[in-house]
Amino acid sequence: MLENQKCKPGGCGGGGNSGMNRRNFLRTSGVLATGIAALAAALSPLRELTDQGSWEQFFQKHYKELSKDDMDKVLARITREVEAQYQIRPHVKDYKPMDGVEFVYCLNLTRCIGCRKCVHACVAENNQSRDPEIQYIRVLKMPHGSFDMEKGDHNYAPESVPEKGFFYMPVQCQHCKNPPCVKVCPTKATWQEPDGITVVDYDWCIGCRYCEAACPYFARRFNWTTPKIPKERLNPNMSYLGNRPRKQGVMEKCHFCIQRTRAGKYPACLEVCPAGARKFGNILDPESEVSYILKNKRVFIQLKEEVGTSPRFFYYFDV
Amino acid sequence: MNGKINLVLGAIAIAFLALAALFMSNVWGRTRPLMLIPLVDAKFIDPSPSRVSIAEFIRKGGDASDYDCDVCHEKNKPIKLKFDADDNIILPTEHTNIFLQHGSHKRNNNCYNCHDEMNLSMFQTRDGKPLKVTDPDVPRLCGSCHGPTYRDWEAGVHGRTSGFWDRQLGDYQRLGCPSCHNPHSPKFPSRAPAPGPHALHPVLHAPDKTETEGSN
Amino acid sequence: MIQGTKNYIRFLWRCGRIAFVGDWRYYAWMGCLSIFILFGLNAYAKQLVHGLYVTGMSDQVSWGVYIANFTFIVGVAAAAAMLVIPVYIYDNKELHDLVIFGELLAVAAILMCLAFVTVDLGRPDRFWHLIPGIGKFNFPGSMLSWDVIVLNGYLLLNVHICGYLLYCRYQGRTPSKWFYIPFVFLAIGWAVSIHTVTAFLYVGLGGRPFWNSSIVGPRFLASAFTAGPSIIILALQVIRKVTDYRISDKALLTLRNIVQVSMLINVFLLFNEVFKEFYTRTSHVASSSYLFFGLHGYHALVPWIWTAIAFNLISMFILVLPMSKSLKYLNIACALAIVGIWIEKGMGLVIPGFIPSPLGEMVEYMPTLNETLVCLGIWAFGLLAYTLFLRMSIPILQGRISKSNEGAADDALFTKGPNPGNSIPDSSHAQTAHS
Repeated sequence: MLENQKCKPGGCGGGGNSGMNRRNFLRTSGVLATGIAALAAALSPLRELTDQGSWEQFFQKHYKELSKDDMDKVLARITREVEAQYQIRPHVKDYKPMDGVEFVYCLNLTRCIGCRKCVHACVAENNQSRDPEIQYIRVLKMPHGSFDMEKGDHNYAPESVPEKGFFYMPVQCQHCKNPPCVKVCPTKATWQEPDGITVVDYDWCIGCRYCEAACPYFARRFNWTTPKIPKERLNPNMSYLGNRPRKQGVMEKCHFCIQRTRAGKYPACLEVCPAGARKFGNILDPESEVSYILKNKRVFIQLKEEVGTSPRFFYYFDV
Repeated sequence: MNGKINLVLGAIAIAFLALAALFMSNVWGRTRPLMLIPLVDAKFIDPSPSRVSIAEFIRKGGDASDYDCDVCHEKNKPIKLKFDADDNIILPTEHTNIFLQHGSHKRNNNCYNCHDEMNLSMFQTRDGKPLKVTDPDVPRLCGSCHGPTYRDWEAGVHGRTSGFWDRQLGDYQRLGCPSCHNPHSPKFPSRAPAPGPHALHPVLHAPDKTETEGSN
Repeated sequence: MIQGTKNYIRFLWRCGRIAFVGDWRYYAWMGCLSIFILFGLNAYAKQLVHGLYVTGMSDQVSWGVYIANFTFIVGVAAAAAMLVIPVYIYDNKELHDLVIFGELLAVAAILMCLAFVTVDLGRPDRFWHLIPGIGKFNFPGSMLSWDVIVLNGYLLLNVHICGYLLYCRYQGRTPSKWFYIPFVFLAIGWAVSIHTVTAFLYVGLGGRPFWNSSIVGPRFLASAFTAGPSIIILALQVIRKVTDYRISDKALLTLRNIVQVSMLINVFLLFNEVFKEFYTRTSHVASSSYLFFGLHGYHALVPWIWTAIAFNLISMFILVLPMSKSLKYLNIACALAIVGIWIEKGMGLVIPGFIPSPLGEMVEYMPTLNETLVCLGIWAFGLLAYTLFLRMSIPILQGRISKSNEGAADDALFTKGPNPGNSIPDSSHAQTAHS
C-alpha cells in the first residue's frame, strides 16, 4: 500500500516501463497460479459430496404449494431414493388431516415407571438416526415434590425402575397451540396443521436451528450429519410429513406418529407403554379417553405454562 | 524495495504450494468416528403386555391342564385357611409358587375374597356369585374394591388401550387386569430401564462432584 | 449511456488493478490473510461434506461461535453510524473526511455477517427458500426474516453511498446531494435497527429466560457503540501509518469521547443485569449462575466472563481518566474493550442461553478445530475485504487516481509521495450544496 519515496522514478514497481510491467504481470500471475492451486486443494474435500439430493428436490416447492400431481411425483422420488439406499421398497403416503379432529396427549405421572420403552418404540417407528442418536422423547427422573427441571436426571440407569422417591416424566414435542418454533421459522418450513400437529417439511428446512433455540421443551432435533438407520429396523410405512428418512442438515421432531394417527391409530409411544401411562385422542370427541381425563382428573400440568405456549400435552396424577 | 517484494511474493507462493499439499493429504479433520452406539435390545420395542393371564392363556387356546383345580379340589368342600401367630396366611405347600402380597397390612389376607371356596376353579363376586375365570367381567371383581381405578379402566384410561383411537376406522384392544397385574402380588413389576440418551459429543470436563446440588 | 457504462467499467478496472499493487508489507499482509482464508475454505468444505457434526454444537447448544461472531460483527457494522452522526448531524469537521472509512468498515462487516450465517446453515443450498416471492418468507413473524431484510438493506445502502461518493471523486465532480444525503440519514436509523433486530432474535424467545429480557437490546447497542468505534480508532491509526492520508489526533479524540460514553453505559447496564439476576434468585437465574459462578459442577465459562468484565472495567477506567488522551493508553483501552466485548457477546450471551437446556440438562460447548478455522477464515476474509476497500478508496480520495489521469503510470497507484490533496470536496458536507 505504500511505496518509499526514495525509490527512483521508473525503477520501482511502477514507472510505466513496459519491461517492468511485464515482469510485474508475470510475477503476480505466478503467485496467483499457486494461489489457485491452493484453492483447488482446499476445496478438494467436496469430492466426497455425493448424496445431496437431486435437482428435482432442489427445485421442489413448499408442501403447501404442491398440487396432487406434484405430490405424487415427490412421493415417487422418495420411494426411489429409499429403495436405492436401503433395498427395501417403502410405502410412502401423504396423509391429510381429518375433519373435526384436534389431537391432545395426556400423560399419567402416577403410572409412568421410566422404562424408556416409549423412547425406543418412537425411534423404531419413525426411522430416526441411531448413530448419531436422535430420540424425540426424553424421560426425566424427578424427585418427589418438585417440578423443577434442573433437578431432573436424564441419564438414570438403575437396576430397575421405578425407584422410590422419584417420578418419571417423558417430554416430547408439546404441539403447542401457540408454538414459538412456528413463529420464528424464517422459511415457514414448520407450521401447525388443523388437527394440532406441528409438522416440518424436511425438503424445505434450511437448517438454521432458530426453532431449536426457540423451543422451551427441547423437543426439536437436528441432523448434524447423515442419519444412520439400520436396514433391518427400517419402518417401510412412511409419510411425507412424518417418518420418511431425513437428510443431513434438517430439523425433525415428534409429529404424533402422523402416519399412524391420521389413519386412526394410536402413536407408537402409546402402543408400547407397559403401564398404560400415555393417553391420546381427539379432544373434540366427548367420548374419547382424553376428554374423560380432562373432565374427571383434578390437577393438570402443562409444562412451562407461564411461557404462553399453551401445550397440547397434559400431565396429570391419578388421585 | 523490489527485492523485498520478490522475497515476500516468493514466500507466499511457496506457502500456497505447501498448503495445497497439506490439504490434499488430509492430515487433520477426519470426522470423529461415531460412537458405535449399540442397537437397542428388541425387548424394549416389544408392545406385548407384562404378563399373560390365565384367562388370556386359555382364550388363546393354551394347554391349561396344569391349571385344572378340580384335580385336587372337590366341589363344596371348602378348605380351611391357616394363619400364623402374626395373622399372616400360611399357604399350603402345594401352592408355594404363589406369593401373596395383595394389600398392605394384611387387608386382603383371605383367598376366598376372590376364589369361590365351594368351587375352587371359579372366582366369586363380592356378593357370593360364582364367576368363571375366563369371564370378561372379571375386572369388575377387582373393581369391587378398586372402584376409581375400575371406572378409569372402563373409560379406557387406566391401563393401555391400543389399536385405533378412531373407533370407526378400526378396533381397539383393552387388556384385562391380570394382563398387567399378578392377582396375588398385583404391584406393577419393576424392570430394568432401556439405555439412556447418548450425547452427540464426548463430555468435555466431567462435572465437579463436590458442587452438585440435586442429581444431573 | 454506453460511454457512461464504459467509464464506469474503466473505473472498476483501475480499482481492481490497484488491489494487486503494493509494497512488500501489503503483499505479506494479504498473503497471510489469504492463507487463513484457504484454511477456512478447506474447513468449510469438510463441514459441507460431513455436516455440522464437525463443529462442537449439539442439540442442547445449537448455536456456537458462528452465531456468536455474527452477533459481534453486526454490532461493529452498526457502529459506522457513530461516525456518521457527529459529521452529518453535529457538523463535526475532524471526522468529516473519515466517515467513509467507517462506512467501508460497515460493508466489510456485513459481508462477514452474511458469511457467518451461511456457514451456520445446515442446508445452505436451500438459501433460495428465503427469497420473498420465490421462496416462503416468514415476514413479519420471524425476527430472522427481519434480519435478512435489514442486513441486506444496510449493505446496499452503504455500498451505494461509498460507491457513489468514490465515483464522483474519481470523476472529479461534486456529488449531488439527493443521491447520498437522504441515504446517509437513512443509514443512521438503519444502523440502529440492524443491531436492534439482531437483539430481538434473542429477546423474542420466551423459552430462554436468560435472553428474554428487555435489557438485551440496549446492551447490544451500548456494547456495539463501544467496540465499533474502538475498532475504527485502531484502524485509522493503521491507515495513518501506512498511507499519508491526513488523520488528525483530534478526530481520534472525538471518537474517544464516543467510546467513553458508550462504555460507561455498557458497564452500567451490566450492573443492572447482574443485580436483577442475583438479587432475587428466581429459577431463571440458572444460566447466569452457570456463566458467572458455575452450576452443578460445570464451570467452563467462568474464567472467560470474569476476564471480559475485568477488561471492560479496566478499559472504562482508562477511558474516563485523562491518560487516555495519549494514544498509547487509548489504544490499550480500545483493545481491551474490543476483546472484552467480543467475549461478552459470544461466550457471555450466546452460549449461556443454552446452558442449562430447557429441560435442565447441563451440556457444555467447546468449538472444534474445524469450527475455529472457519471462523478465522471469515475474519481474514473481512480484513481482506476492508483492506481492499481502503486500498482502492484512499488513492481515489487523494486524487491520485482519477479520470484525469487514466492511462497514467503506476506511480499514481500508490498512496504516499506527492500528495495532491486529502479530502472529498466540500460539497459532501451537509451544509454546502456545491463548491
